[in-house]
Amino acid sequence: MMGFSFRANSRLVQALAVSALALSIAGCGTSVERMDTAEVKDLSGAWNDTDSRLVSEEMIQDVLSRDWLPEFTRKHNKKPAVIVGEVLNLSHEHVNVNTFTADMERALINSGKVQFVASKGERGEVREERKDQDIHAAEATRKPMGQERGADYMLKGTINTIIDTSGSSQVRYYQVDLTFISLADNVKVWVGQKKIKKLVKRGNLRY
Amino acid sequence: MRAKLIFPLATLALLCSGCASYSDSFSVIESDMAAQRFGAALETLERQRHPQRDRLLYLLNKAMLERMNGDYAASNRTFEAAKTRMEELRGLSLREQGQSLFINDATRSYAGEEFEQVLVHLYMALNYLQLGERIDARVEALQVDERLREITQRLPENRYTEDALARYLTGMIYEELDERSDAMIAYRKAYEAYRRYGQNYSVAVPESLKHDLLRLSQQMGLTEEMRQYKKDFRIERWMSADELAEQGELIFLLHNGLAPIRREHAVTVPDPASGHIVRIAVPHYETRPTPVTGARVVAGGAGAQAELAEDINAIAVKDLEAKMPAITARALARAVLKAQMAKAARENARQQNQNNAGAAVAAMAVEIAGLVTERADTRSWLTLPARIHLARLPLPPGTYTVKVDLLGDDGQIVSTQEYANMVIRRGAKTYLSPHWIPSTVTPPRRSR
Repeated sequence: MMGFSFRANSRLVQALAVSALALSIAGCGTSVERMDTAEVKDLSGAWNDTDSRLVSEEMIQDVLSRDWLPEFTRKHNKKPAVIVGEVLNLSHEHVNVNTFTADMERALINSGKVQFVASKGERGEVREERKDQDIHAAEATRKPMGQERGADYMLKGTINTIIDTSGSSQVRYYQVDLTFISLADNVKVWVGQKKIKKLVKRGNLRY
Repeated sequence: MRAKLIFPLATLALLCSGCASYSDSFSVIESDMAAQRFGAALETLERQRHPQRDRLLYLLNKAMLERMNGDYAASNRTFEAAKTRMEELRGLSLREQGQSLFINDATRSYAGEEFEQVLVHLYMALNYLQLGERIDARVEALQVDERLREITQRLPENRYTEDALARYLTGMIYEELDERSDAMIAYRKAYEAYRRYGQNYSVAVPESLKHDLLRLSQQMGLTEEMRQYKKDFRIERWMSADELAEQGELIFLLHNGLAPIRREHAVTVPDPASGHIVRIAVPHYETRPTPVTGARVVAGGAGAQAELAEDINAIAVKDLEAKMPAITARALARAVLKAQMAKAARENARQQNQNNAGAAVAAMAVEIAGLVTERADTRSWLTLPARIHLARLPLPPGTYTVKVDLLGDDGQIVSTQEYANMVIRRGAKTYLSPHWIPSTVTPPRRSR
């Protein structure tokens, strides 16, 4: 009986100290787990690989099923050449737009219906190489200048977001608009759109 | 029993030695910064061990030093990590709340004051602008809006809920991207915020903002609004949007001095009822004075005076003032709790056998532990400047050597800096935002 209150307090202090010590030790060790790239894993609610994949899947399916493609092929008797222009990120996040434009480029080329020409950034390096060939390459293998294929269409687009927050809940709305603009006459031949909406609930408590 | 007690006490002592004086541990880095040795300051920062709870501060200071060092891309990577950390620390931790009640406030994870959280976006935007990545700067502008909206929802109106300079900068970002209506909204919000700055921190509305409001309202055909501004500002002549579009613009931001530093203010008094000692420790701000009060920017025969655009000194002091009641309440609750524990230990010792010295010693140890762990939370983002001055200088396109005179109180030149090869492009803004840290920033510590 005697000393009960003190012992209780001592336990309390001890428990506190031990928990504090445990805390400073916790957090060691790395673990890596391989995931399927198609697996959906949302961590923060921000733009992630799943969003990028959903956008490219939707866009590719749409762009290949529309009339502009067979129309162009019929009229000009060749495949349209497309160049990737700028996809403007007007969203709240630092979104990497290259992932889905690259996805689209790959799917369109592999479909065999569209050709892509090198974009502004890529061209520089190719031209450099051609210049180099002009001096160093054998006549038979030399590629002449001024023979580049000009693009018929430019792929441009925007990503927009609307974010609505109240307390610990947040609605994140993304809209990706992509369009093919004819370089000959500025006509938009195709407009693709993908909307993504997420409800993010943040915990009010943490460890 | 003795052995049982020594262990927790030792742990407590260890815990508090780690958190005792965050602000004191910074003096080495500070002297490196003052000598413009930002690389060395970064090395020192990396060498200093920091507990997980201070990780955000480490990231903020690192990002700022990288920025001062001119490595804007690295700075933004670190700032991004800091943002993620702030996001992780959003929720309330019952464990840390408990610790802060038993030990002290500095045992909690540092999540950043509201103004520090907003300034992260401001500095990231400036980094992106200096890298010429205007679209990424725009992302930060949107995040400023998002962050301020969240703070406005949470805090009462008399607190820091708007950041005038952050709003002003977002306006400039939108205007350069030709998003006029967004720019107009941002300039209006900046104007509103500066009017409140006038009351709270005695920062006036910058003249350049007045010109921006007039120019943009005229360009957008908001005639009524333009007339009102003309009347309010008493400005008759300004550079029109068409005239400005023919020119480029130099945006100069001077990050002057260093933000105030938190020190501990502790009161140790005997409790008249029990005759035992009670200690209460709370933080207070100590300003780090800077002799520079303004700047003059000269390029190619044109010149502009930099105006005070943000007084982080005043914002920090006001912010702590507003939080003081809660901090004091927690300190008092802690004092009561610690006194209770000490009392229980004493009662125990008294009830024990008179010649059991161990119990008496243990009782004393509990009391001492309660006293030494009572430390104020002196953590804050110490690499922030004390003030930010702003100048806008329209210039014909070309390459310039920009001369900056840093001016003291009575207009005398404290220091002159030159920045060569500044390229001004038509219709675009070129950003120049150096940091200036005086060689003796921290006043000698007063003995407590």
